[in-house]
Amino acid sequence: MAEAAPEAATTTEATPASGTTAGDAAQRIEPPKLHPLLRFILIRIGISLLLIWGVTIVTFLLTNLVPTDPVAAILGDRAAADPEIVAQTRERLGLDQPLIVQYFTYLSNLLHGDLGVSNQTRTPVLDSIGQVFPASIELGIGAILISVILGLLLGLLSALKQNTIVDHAIRTLSLIGISAPTFWIATVAYFVFFFKLRVVPGAGRLDPWITPPPKVTGLYTLDSLLAGQMATFTNAFGHLILPSCVLALFTIGLLTRFSRSSVLDIIKFDYVTAAKAKGLPTGTVVFKYIFRGALVPIITVVGLAFGSLLSGAVLTETVFAWNGLGQYAYRGATTLDLPVIMGVGLVIGIVYIIVNFIVDLIYGFVDPRVRVR
Amino acid sequence: MRRLTRSFVAICSTLALTAGLAACSGGSDEAGGSGDTIVAETAFSLATIDPHRQFEFTGSTIDNALYQTALEFKDGDLTKPTDGLCSFEMSDDDKTMTLKLKQKDAKFSNGDPVTVDDIVFSFERLQGLKGNPSFFLDGVKVKKIDDETIELKSEKPNPALPYILPNSSIGIVNSKVVKENKGTTDEKDGAEQFLNENSQGSGPYKIDTYDPDSQVVLTANEHYNGPAPKYKRVVLRNVSAETQLTDIQSGQAQVAYDLNSDQANSIDDSMAQKTSLPSTRSLYIFNNMDSKVSDITTNEDFRKAVASAIDYDKILELSGEGAQRMAGLVPNEFNGAVPKDQAPERDLEKTKKLLKKSGYDGEKIPFHYSSDQSVNGVDLAQLAETLQAQFKEAGINLALKPAPSATQLDGFRSGKQPMGIGTWGADFPDPSNYNVFVPGGSVAERVNWDKDADPAITKLADKAEKADEDSRGDAYATMYKSLSDTGVWIPLVQPVDTIVVGNSVKKFVSNADTSFDFAKAE
Repeated sequence: MAEAAPEAATTTEATPASGTTAGDAAQRIEPPKLHPLLRFILIRIGISLLLIWGVTIVTFLLTNLVPTDPVAAILGDRAAADPEIVAQTRERLGLDQPLIVQYFTYLSNLLHGDLGVSNQTRTPVLDSIGQVFPASIELGIGAILISVILGLLLGLLSALKQNTIVDHAIRTLSLIGISAPTFWIATVAYFVFFFKLRVVPGAGRLDPWITPPPKVTGLYTLDSLLAGQMATFTNAFGHLILPSCVLALFTIGLLTRFSRSSVLDIIKFDYVTAAKAKGLPTGTVVFKYIFRGALVPIITVVGLAFGSLLSGAVLTETVFAWNGLGQYAYRGATTLDLPVIMGVGLVIGIVYIIVNFIVDLIYGFVDPRVRVR
Repeated sequence: MRRLTRSFVAICSTLALTAGLAACSGGSDEAGGSGDTIVAETAFSLATIDPHRQFEFTGSTIDNALYQTALEFKDGDLTKPTDGLCSFEMSDDDKTMTLKLKQKDAKFSNGDPVTVDDIVFSFERLQGLKGNPSFFLDGVKVKKIDDETIELKSEKPNPALPYILPNSSIGIVNSKVVKENKGTTDEKDGAEQFLNENSQGSGPYKIDTYDPDSQVVLTANEHYNGPAPKYKRVVLRNVSAETQLTDIQSGQAQVAYDLNSDQANSIDDSMAQKTSLPSTRSLYIFNNMDSKVSDITTNEDFRKAVASAIDYDKILELSGEGAQRMAGLVPNEFNGAVPKDQAPERDLEKTKKLLKKSGYDGEKIPFHYSSDQSVNGVDLAQLAETLQAQFKEAGINLALKPAPSATQLDGFRSGKQPMGIGTWGADFPDPSNYNVFVPGGSVAERVNWDKDADPAITKLADKAEKADEDSRGDAYATMYKSLSDTGVWIPLVQPVDTIVVGNSVKKFVSNADTSFDFAKAE
């Protein structure tokens, strides 16, 4: 068909016209196909952007549904009794505008990288989050590393030693890790390891008399290394140990239980039995056959746990005076600081979306079946 | 399988070793800090350290160290305002105050001398910003007379002015530098951010770093005209009370602001010293006077029954050692306080008679309070539960309505809460600061107690306002006693402000004005 011009055929919308012969179709130039992985990534990015937009709507609406006037939280008793000051404050915060106008102003500012200004401290929310988020990342990475290493190993060991005393002991420990109240564990750990045994430094990210390293990433351990300040690095690393361990306890328990059950599922498969029958070394069977097969559901849990650790751990941060996202969010919530609440909500939403995105990508690498699909 | 176990043990050992190494490198040997740094810990209540905007405890603590004020309270005696940067004189009609620049050697942290222009600018900026502390100089006209003299003229007699000027919110700033950084004396002012990062005061310290969420660091002001502080660096950290307890005992911190009486008493004397100051906060029960909000709290017999149903001794016990009874809303140390021996006692027989007279039928009364607030160690949630139990014994049923502070405050201000726990912290140590509780006052309006609701009290309030210096204390005490007798406000307790100081600090000054004076600590 003359109509089936090559130019038209290059567009994805072009479909063979009725009456097209098989020979004509064969001559058509196929549209360039995106690599499946790239296509997958682009689709995921598109979905993520939509999700982020949804997060802005949800955080904005939920925040504004709180049946309290934020102006009440800002003004003292005397100022609150002065209608002129109340009106001026309301106008300054943009609260005199209809809700829909407030939302679009918020969205427009957001697109310009402006998360607003804290009603309480009048500092830009983005700056404050830039200050506290690295602290949470540093703590979250410390906790997730400990959790993954210990949680996976304990789970694997527990499964391989099923119904032995080792299994029972690990399951009991993981149960304690999951059910012990973090605030209590943190307080006791701080008292024992800092105050009594003096094996870890006190609260905070650094000793009070140490000046933080020049900011590059906001992670004190990394920044001090970049600045070549070894004394600051060891101090920051020391401060990281105890809160990371406390924060990791819950995730260790969770991962232990999850990896145990996941490994027990895989262990029953014929291919594992076949590998053992072939006389492969135990390590190969365990890590190449059992562990790899069990990894997909574990990755999901690790991803969610990491997201949760990054989005702040209020209680641990409070006990260890760790000025992270959790503490910042808590202060914003108790003082009804709407821009802070919305900013933190958005950041947490984005963190989860990114973590899930990365988890989806890792699936493809770990499990060939996902790649094929 | 054995190889796997060995690998597991090896990894665990590596982790333990890493932790151990890190611990050794950052552990306790360094605890206690360097000699010229003092570490103080408090749970931050901090929005800004711009003196003319700040109105929170932590902001005030910091500004006390950064800024000098026109007047001061000598040795923390809140009944005697004395000369600060200026000397003062009040006119006989209490309408005009004349300030004379006294400390001519006072210098800001950049070396500029403090001038009358700076003082005038500071007063006018406080007024013009229309922020939380602006009311301090409401109705006061500020005028520079000459290079040494300032006149403050009030519309009405203002005998409280000498008690107001020592407030850290009226700190004197370097007008030249503040103006250069968008500082004005109206709402267009844009110097807050600058002042948060670059203090412009003449106090013993200047700001080094400011992080309202984490910590604030001060360093000595080398141009300060008083004795140079021994501690050249002050680190004020945002730390919870539980962690403060451990830190003060370990030497990690030298000053802890937020320990309650029980926590403070648990510390061994060999580790720290405790100072207890009467708090300037008052805790009270409020009763709404609008029958549309509550039929029963508007009944005077019911309110009096409530007052006699409270076991005040138990409340004192709950508030910790050093807490005091209150017969009125004004703290016992202030001029105009009602003597505490006039405070009511528990009398269940009287309660029952009054309840019968009031017609109370046992209905549950919503009782509002902040569930997340602790006032000088008094946990309001615990206080509310204690009151609920005490009232139940007397036959009064409360339905507890806890809410986060911001929500509770908003609800209280809306005037729709029948009954609950209220708190008031003195803005300045003068009985006139409590006029807001008199019918028609800004707090009275929250319980719908209108101006004309109680002419007898209004008359006593007018009399107190017009009383001369010698008689105003008694006049206010009489008025506040009558106010308590109405049962609209039932004073509960004056808590105690406990500050714990580590034994590494050998000498310090702690008083009701500044709590803890960093500049005088050694």
